[in-house]
Amino acid sequence: MNPIPALRFVVRVALQNIVRNRGIAFASLLTVTLTLLGAGAAVAVVSALDGVLHQEETQASVLKVFMADHVSYASILNLQYNLSSEPSVLKASFENKDQAAKQAASGLGLGNALKILQQTGGGNPLPASINLHLRNIGAVSAINNQVSTSPLLYPGPHPTDYNKDVIPRLERYIFAAQLGGAIMVAVVGAVALVIITISVRTAAFVRRQEIEIMKLVGATDWFVRWPFLIEGVIVGVLSALLASAVLVGIGLLFGSGGNLALGIGLRFAGLVVLGLIAGGAVLGSFGSFVGIRRSLAT
Amino acid sequence: MSISTSPAPPRTVTQATGNGPPVRHDPPIIVFENVSKTYGNGAPAVQDVSFTVRPRDFVFVVGASGAGKSTIIRLLIREETASKGHVIVEGQDLARLRHRHLPRLRRKMGIVFQDFKLLPNLTVAQNVAFAIQVTDPGRSHLKEKVGEALYIVGLEDKLNNFPTELSGGEQQRVAIARALIHRPRIFLADEPTGNLDPDAGWGIVQLLLQINHRGATVVMATHNREVVDLSRRRVLAMEGGQLIRDEQEGQYLKEGEAIL
Repeated sequence: MNPIPALRFVVRVALQNIVRNRGIAFASLLTVTLTLLGAGAAVAVVSALDGVLHQEETQASVLKVFMADHVSYASILNLQYNLSSEPSVLKASFENKDQAAKQAASGLGLGNALKILQQTGGGNPLPASINLHLRNIGAVSAINNQVSTSPLLYPGPHPTDYNKDVIPRLERYIFAAQLGGAIMVAVVGAVALVIITISVRTAAFVRRQEIEIMKLVGATDWFVRWPFLIEGVIVGVLSALLASAVLVGIGLLFGSGGNLALGIGLRFAGLVVLGLIAGGAVLGSFGSFVGIRRSLAT
Repeated sequence: MSISTSPAPPRTVTQATGNGPPVRHDPPIIVFENVSKTYGNGAPAVQDVSFTVRPRDFVFVVGASGAGKSTIIRLLIREETASKGHVIVEGQDLARLRHRHLPRLRRKMGIVFQDFKLLPNLTVAQNVAFAIQVTDPGRSHLKEKVGEALYIVGLEDKLNNFPTELSGGEQQRVAIARALIHRPRIFLADEPTGNLDPDAGWGIVQLLLQINHRGATVVMATHNREVVDLSRRRVLAMEGGQLIRDEQEGQYLKEGEAIL
């Protein structure tokens, strides 16, 4: 069989089917658009939430290792070097006493208190520190246990500092957000699949006489199946384009500073659109495949 | 009654008949060998049926409704498979035919039914071309082939009509043209005159006789007594799923037989 005329024929039949059964096709287009819209929105929200949580995670993944005042700069550099060679450590930076004071003054509003303390001869009570930025929030406590036994550390009850409470809470939030998003996308995908299957089954029922004749005159199962598959792909891709247009439109309306709403970047939005198109095509063809199976069997 | 129960001979044989010229006996194109078909409800549609059909034969399968005529046709196109026995078409046991090879078998056959099975939204020419478009869309000279098929059935002037604009007899002719487009070696007709008035029905049978004359083997299931009796061709008579009579130049009813 020559593939070009065959392809031309099945595409023509697929388009004729859509036009002929435009009521069913429109209903399925609308429902699949709505479901893909839900999926796209879910992906966008989960991604935005994920971004916020990851930002929090990055901030919470900092471990401050306070150095004792008597420790030489060479020892500090040595410890900094050793810690930065740990695989879980992304960056190890040194913060001297003056920088710590400046940070406390700006971040905690302790500028006046520190000034009075220095004027009355109390000096700068804040210790120097090595600030460790870790790759993974889960590695914070392990590094903390490893480093806290060093004799170079600031004597006292808290030789290191990190946000113990935030870390497990953030981990739980991130897991819940990812799981919730995955479940939502799966449910919405399953609904879209069922709708396309029903739609193709209805189209196959409407065209049952045509299918019967095709089989009687010697058309192969694949030749009977192709127009339905293409019909499913067309409906799926059109639905994805419609859903993408709505999502991007809303994103542009509420976006700012070169980003869409929820701080979603244009690159990520493009990937979501491509994902929706691919998802629509896969949903459409798979739904059609399932929908036409019964007609071919009988 | 003479019912052939022997399987297909392996090759062509030539048989001398008296002092006349030798008669060529090709191997059978269709063989039914002790075929039974039972449906889900347990009732046998055909029971232990055996016969052979030689190339270029014209065979009527006759009998009352439910006698098993249509089941014979359905078994031949492998819409059904035999519960017992063998259905062999052109040397191929249909029970062993793989599903993916079924289209190739169907393309060797022309099939028409009582209800014409035309697509109402396509014109006459499009209905006929449909058989090629769905099996060999790249085939050249499609228009000429459609024109030729419609010429054979006498509808070359109805190319652009829709089926609803035609009489029943004309619609059946379109179905026959569609079945002819692959130039089938076997032509199967299941009650092709069932929905037609006597004149149109006789016209269809004449057309099938003409197709047979052009070299195709024709098997026609019918309960139309007149056309069978007028045609004087081979008759396979079915009753209650059993083959009760196989007669060359037969009639619908054997002499003295009552109408069922």
